Amino acid sequence: MEEKVLVVDQQKCTGCRQCELVCSVFHTGSSNPSRSRIKVVKWEHVGIYLPMICNHCEKAYCVEVCPTKACHREPELNNRVVIDKNLCIGCKTCIISCPFGHPSFDVQERVTVKCDFCDGDPQCVAFCYAKAVFFLDADKIQMAKKREAANKLIESMKQIR
Amino acid sequence: MKTEPIHSIRPVKHLKPQEHWGWIIAIYLYLAGMGAGSFIIGTVLNWFVDPSRVVTIYGLPLDLAKGVILWGPILVAIGAPFLILDLGIKRRFLYACLNPRTSWVARGFLILSAFIVLGLLALVLSILSFQWLIEQTTLRRILEIISILFAFTTAIYTGILLKATKSIPLWNTYLLPLLFLVSALSTGSMAIILSTLGAGLFSHESGTFKLLMGGEQILVVIEGIVLYLYLSQRYRATEQGKDSVRLLLFGEKKLIFWGGIVLLGLVFPVILESIASFFHGNVVLIFVSGLILLCGGFFLRLGVISAGIKEQIPMQRLMEIQYELIKNPKS
Repeated sequence: MEEKVLVVDQQKCTGCRQCELVCSVFHTGSSNPSRSRIKVVKWEHVGIYLPMICNHCEKAYCVEVCPTKACHREPELNNRVVIDKNLCIGCKTCIISCPFGHPSFDVQERVTVKCDFCDGDPQCVAFCYAKAVFFLDADKIQMAKKREAANKLIESMKQIR
Repeated sequence: MKTEPIHSIRPVKHLKPQEHWGWIIAIYLYLAGMGAGSFIIGTVLNWFVDPSRVVTIYGLPLDLAKGVILWGPILVAIGAPFLILDLGIKRRFLYACLNPRTSWVARGFLILSAFIVLGLLALVLSILSFQWLIEQTTLRRILEIISILFAFTTAIYTGILLKATKSIPLWNTYLLPLLFLVSALSTGSMAIILSTLGAGLFSHESGTFKLLMGGEQILVVIEGIVLYLYLSQRYRATEQGKDSVRLLLFGEKKLIFWGGIVLLGLVFPVILESIASFFHGNVVLIFVSGLILLCGGFFLRLGVISAGIKEQIPMQRLMEIQYELIKNPKS
């Protein structure tokens, strides 16, 4: 089965935080970036904008530490890791155990929330105008990066000529 | 005001510990540890000394001396609701036992429930001194041995709970459960000393009491040694472990560490107890040093929890090198 993954090209990100808005609108109905599942971390003094997303790890700590099985893997839907809102008790153990700082506590719903690929159609990918976030087949990531590098090489060779 | 960067190579202005677990979890860890420790010490005391003071209330023969030394499970039962208080949706707390296969929170839920139930059963059976009940020695011994095992797992579990989260280097070591176990035993024995002294069960010059005090002082010294080993091992483990120890020793949390853990938990009790033994066991001094030691046990948990700094994300070093945020040591 083909698995799809979210990939970030952080060099293209402009830090507009559109993805945070559409993510929170899709999941919570309110345009509130603080309730978004994707977070753009910024280092303004060096000009780095890094959208932080869930990696849906192969060996996910959040699944391991969850006491209620609310945080579980769904192999049928791109092997994603999701949190069942109806089972989560909000103990925050997954937040502490995630090395990427991903699951976040939703203060209004009182449960922990995380990226779920928007059920197969990630809104951050659809609305990113800089095309910094991709939703690709897992085996095509390398290909895309190689093509990108080749394109850059061609550009620079044109400049030399 | 000029702020000095505290990290030697990175321009980090302040260290940011985790803020998801705070003083509520610290209170829970403290009460669970102290309750389990005092139950262990109390049961051992019950086996070897077997103090007894039977009073008949409403026609029921009650052995109040057992109540004075076996009240540990009550403390754990008071501490467990603090864990529920920290949850996002509190009424769902029963769900927390659904995944004992991998999750230590779920295992802890089961361990704590078992200890509270068995410990309270042991307490009630010891207090009720009916003749037919006293004759069931084997049954009571088996119950006490099982509850002591659960008391040990409860005390160790308070450390495992933090260790199992893995991404915080300050917590990710087997020395943390050991530290919490030793601290549970020292605070628990101190709590037993205070309750027996307060209830007038032993005089402060009796042999049993002196043995308890001696054991308690040895436990405090062992706790200090384990604390030193723990901090020095974490300091050398990873960069974030080093940052955590720095935060605890010299940073924002230094008041908790030097004031709460070192002075209240280790130095004052030892000094006051030696002064008390010099004055032939001054009861007031023993009480004061005991209360101070119990405060120190709480600050130990609070310090360890509030100084936990997360490990850096795996690609952070790559980003730093790529964007020359750190000086390349080779160039």
